[in-house]
Amino acid sequence: MLELDAVTKRFGGLTAVGKVSLRASPGEILGIIGPNGAGKTTLFNVISGFYPPDEGRVLLDGRDVSHVPAHRICALGLCRTFQLVKPFGNLSAEDNVMIGALTRLTSVAAARNEARRVIALCRLEAFAGAPARSLPIGLRKRLEVARALATKPRLLLLDEVMAGLNATELGEMVTLLRRLHGEGLGLIIIEHIMAAMMRLAQRIVVLHHGEKIAEGTPEAITRDPRVVDAYLGEEFVLADA
Amino acid sequence: MRGHALALVVFGAAALTPLVLHDGFFLDSLILILMWGAVSGAWNVAGGYAGQVSLGHSAFFGIGAYSAALMATRWNASPWLGMLVGAVVATGAGLIIGYLANRLKGPYFALATIAFSQVLLIVASRWRAFTAGSEGVPVPFRPGLWTLGFASKVSWVYLVLGLALAVYAVQVYLERSRVGYQLAGVREDEDAAQALGIPSRRLKVVAVAASAALTSGCGTLWAQYVGFVDPFYVFSVDLSIRFALNTIIGGIGTAMGPFVGSILITSLETFLRATFSDVRGGLVGIYLIIYGCLLILVVRFIPRGLVGWFGERFRAMGLHARA
Repeated sequence: MLELDAVTKRFGGLTAVGKVSLRASPGEILGIIGPNGAGKTTLFNVISGFYPPDEGRVLLDGRDVSHVPAHRICALGLCRTFQLVKPFGNLSAEDNVMIGALTRLTSVAAARNEARRVIALCRLEAFAGAPARSLPIGLRKRLEVARALATKPRLLLLDEVMAGLNATELGEMVTLLRRLHGEGLGLIIIEHIMAAMMRLAQRIVVLHHGEKIAEGTPEAITRDPRVVDAYLGEEFVLADA
Repeated sequence: MRGHALALVVFGAAALTPLVLHDGFFLDSLILILMWGAVSGAWNVAGGYAGQVSLGHSAFFGIGAYSAALMATRWNASPWLGMLVGAVVATGAGLIIGYLANRLKGPYFALATIAFSQVLLIVASRWRAFTAGSEGVPVPFRPGLWTLGFASKVSWVYLVLGLALAVYAVQVYLERSRVGYQLAGVREDEDAAQALGIPSRRLKVVAVAASAALTSGCGTLWAQYVGFVDPFYVFSVDLSIRFALNTIIGGIGTAMGPFVGSILITSLETFLRATFSDVRGGLVGIYLIIYGCLLILVVRFIPRGLVGWFGERFRAMGLHARA
């Protein structure tokens, strides 16, 4: 279980994340929304060990991991993807996933098998041998998820993995994430596509100017006037009605 | 033997050459080709597999050369012992350089490594009491395997061939092992590697230190073969560039690249020196100009080097044949 206790991260005079507290239960799908620059990705960077928080604590299963480096966070069962995908461009898709699998497995042969399983799960078989840089953005996003899955996380942080996908790809991604959730994986999802978020998230946290301004079920969030003001806009509410 | 065909051809040819050719000039060229191939392979461990491009690897080469030469002249120690001490010292230096790799990226790292090799050059050429200063150290010739003295060049061919095979084996390990794949991840994208649980900083330091130790071992053998250690040569930037150049032209991050690069560059240099040495000095340095042009052409047109380029062609042909 992940718990954030009044986490603050500043860059010079700018408070990117200010006193954000939240918790994600095991196996839960938690959504994080907010306008651009609200501090969503910075929050992911703090949770996943890329930035130490200036104040507050990050607790994973009750243990303070605020200053634990990123690679150890992954070993503890929390993996993240990047908004601007970071494939190992010159390696094949399968090798990309296998490098993820090698975090839990010491044998290359076993990791290769595990990579094939995850690639099939993410329906990337047809592209397994292609260099990652040659894949279009939709497939690169899926590869990003596959690679993270291969590390066998209990909690997966997804940073806009649906942005830029076409309708078919979007549907496939939602199906995949639901299936993973069904197998017990916890997810924290940053996303701007509200339709997908409404279908996936059990609970949504709204960030604005680095602060948490609302938290609740998707239905409650879309009716919250502060959230409508800060992020969703009147059009969303009217279209939804 | 899948994937080792090129190695079999190159090292097999090297092993058979002394049976056919007895000419000292050719055998000397062969020894140098294998030697520079081996050092370039050692460089490749850091520069190719870990993506830490150093232009100061002569520092480690010189450490190996000096350790054995000084221990032999001062304490009459076996060069093998000197090689071991050199490797330990180079590992220590490699850990420091590797630590720098986590602070400095790309060109800044390369500049720091140049500075490091030049600091060692200054120490070696000024510290007369210990290193004999700029005069250099003649390596005593004592026949025998334990003292690494062979009158016959044929023995040297097989000894240096053994070194080349050892370096080749290390590189193949880096292509197929867990740590090798993890290093590839670090080289491609360090943030992503860390997010996937790879201790990237530690891996980089270890790779640079291992590369340093191997380079130092090559330095020891080279000094024993040549019989003289000149600080201005073993710590030179020229030498560092040679290690990088062989590898980049042959194929950076490929196990045979450094050897293919060395075959081309070393023979070319030998040929050009022999050809232009008579022309009243005016064209003696022409091989440097040709080096430069080659490097530009390779980086521009075949950035993955000769081995990478031919490898792709062969794979493409294989696919057509199957289709």
